[in-house]
Amino acid sequence: MPHESVHTVQSYEQELEQLRSFINRMGGVVERQVAQAITAVVEHDEAAARDAPEMDPYVDELERETEALVIRLLALRAPMGGDLREVVVALKISGDLERIGDCAASIARRAMRNELLSCPISLTGLRSMGRLVQENLRRTIDAMDQRDPELARIVWQSDTAVDELYVSMFRELVTYMMEDPRNIGPCTHLLFIAKNLERIGDHATNISERVYYAVTGNTLPIVRPRGGTFD
Amino acid sequence: MNKIIMDNSMGQNTAVPALAIRDLDFWYGENHALKSISLDFPTRQVTGMIGPSGCGKSTLLRCLNRMYDLYPGQRATGEVVFDGRNILAPGLDVNVLRSRIGMVFQKPTPFPMSIYDNIAFGVRLHERLPRADMDQRVESVLRRVALWPEVKDRLNASAAALSGGQQQRLCIARTIATRPEIILLDEPTSALDPISTARIEELLDELKQEFSIAIVTHNLQQAARCADRVAFFYMGELVEVDTADRMFTAPHAKRTQDYITGRFG
Repeated sequence: MPHESVHTVQSYEQELEQLRSFINRMGGVVERQVAQAITAVVEHDEAAARDAPEMDPYVDELERETEALVIRLLALRAPMGGDLREVVVALKISGDLERIGDCAASIARRAMRNELLSCPISLTGLRSMGRLVQENLRRTIDAMDQRDPELARIVWQSDTAVDELYVSMFRELVTYMMEDPRNIGPCTHLLFIAKNLERIGDHATNISERVYYAVTGNTLPIVRPRGGTFD
Repeated sequence: MNKIIMDNSMGQNTAVPALAIRDLDFWYGENHALKSISLDFPTRQVTGMIGPSGCGKSTLLRCLNRMYDLYPGQRATGEVVFDGRNILAPGLDVNVLRSRIGMVFQKPTPFPMSIYDNIAFGVRLHERLPRADMDQRVESVLRRVALWPEVKDRLNASAAALSGGQQQRLCIARTIATRPEIILLDEPTSALDPISTARIEELLDELKQEFSIAIVTHNLQQAARCADRVAFFYMGELVEVDTADRMFTAPHAKRTQDYITGRFG
């Protein structure tokens, strides 16, 4: 998130740059993890299924470094105004990114289960949900890199579609399970995968909210437009 | 959104401000030091004034009790309304004014006399009190500034023997002894150590129950800690005024943002 004007204290500026680079790197890695996790499931891609969880320690490490740097900045620089928002938001965003990485790893770990490989159920719904979540995550990370509050607000709103897809997938899978108990195994895995995708969408939404606040100083409404309920 | 925050800021829209500045301009000879300033000081709140050196914040403070009167070539136009009157108007008794609008300076300025007399001196100018009442006044203001336990056994000792922090608290005690409505503080802690500074800040919090306070400070953290509202000045102009909360998390003006984040100097 580059700023227009530069700090009088150079080392402070460098620390903020460092913080931005941690977050950008985390964003990049996590985006790749999610892409691989989805490929692993829908293409039965063994390499992708193996790679996604392997990046987890790297993401965790970046999260810890971000945390340490934020604490250091707060203690030694006492940031104010836009800097304060950026620093606090970086801490929160790193947490969301780390959770996204976990969800991706969890999806990838299920991808090569025998129940899924021999699954008679169409993966079309999962495929479109995956595409949508990936697209939202990509735009969230763009909004973050470019400090674009308008883009952040648009992504924040578009998570509705992910929620809707999740609810319809849930219904579909429950129907399959009721039709034939042999579907329960694969459907349960698919349900967990869909739930993890939906969570990734939620974390992306959180990041969008935080980007919007960091850049504008205003918060988006507490209640986000939600799509699809179980009632 | 901001509108709502402002309206909720301790109901200041309904209350009459302790002091209201309207279109104030100030000159040091040819130097136009304050440019068309309008600013309210809400009653029983702390208003902080921040800005780089030479931005006019101390000049503004000096206007509020006519301190500039002492110097030829310095003049102010516009209005400073206090208790229904424009205090810049000629014919105002500045001694009465200064007893109602007290001032504390950057360096402690105790008079070269005893601790007791430092406080009694100002009171005697305005009130004729029997000895017992004066004793009580001295004790009560010294208690108020939390100096009493430290000096009660040596009230007749010279004020010069006190530490810097004690002297500054004595100066605040001296200021409130004449029962002013407003207290002006010009960087009151910049010459003090962190503990003495914390004591003064704690004192401000307590004093605002009774007085309206205006404080000029270079220490942004101090403004953030002490002030309810903060005004940012730059090159003689009032750039922005808002709740301290808003000013230090999400100021509106680019110049405010740059200043509080240390992006120009």
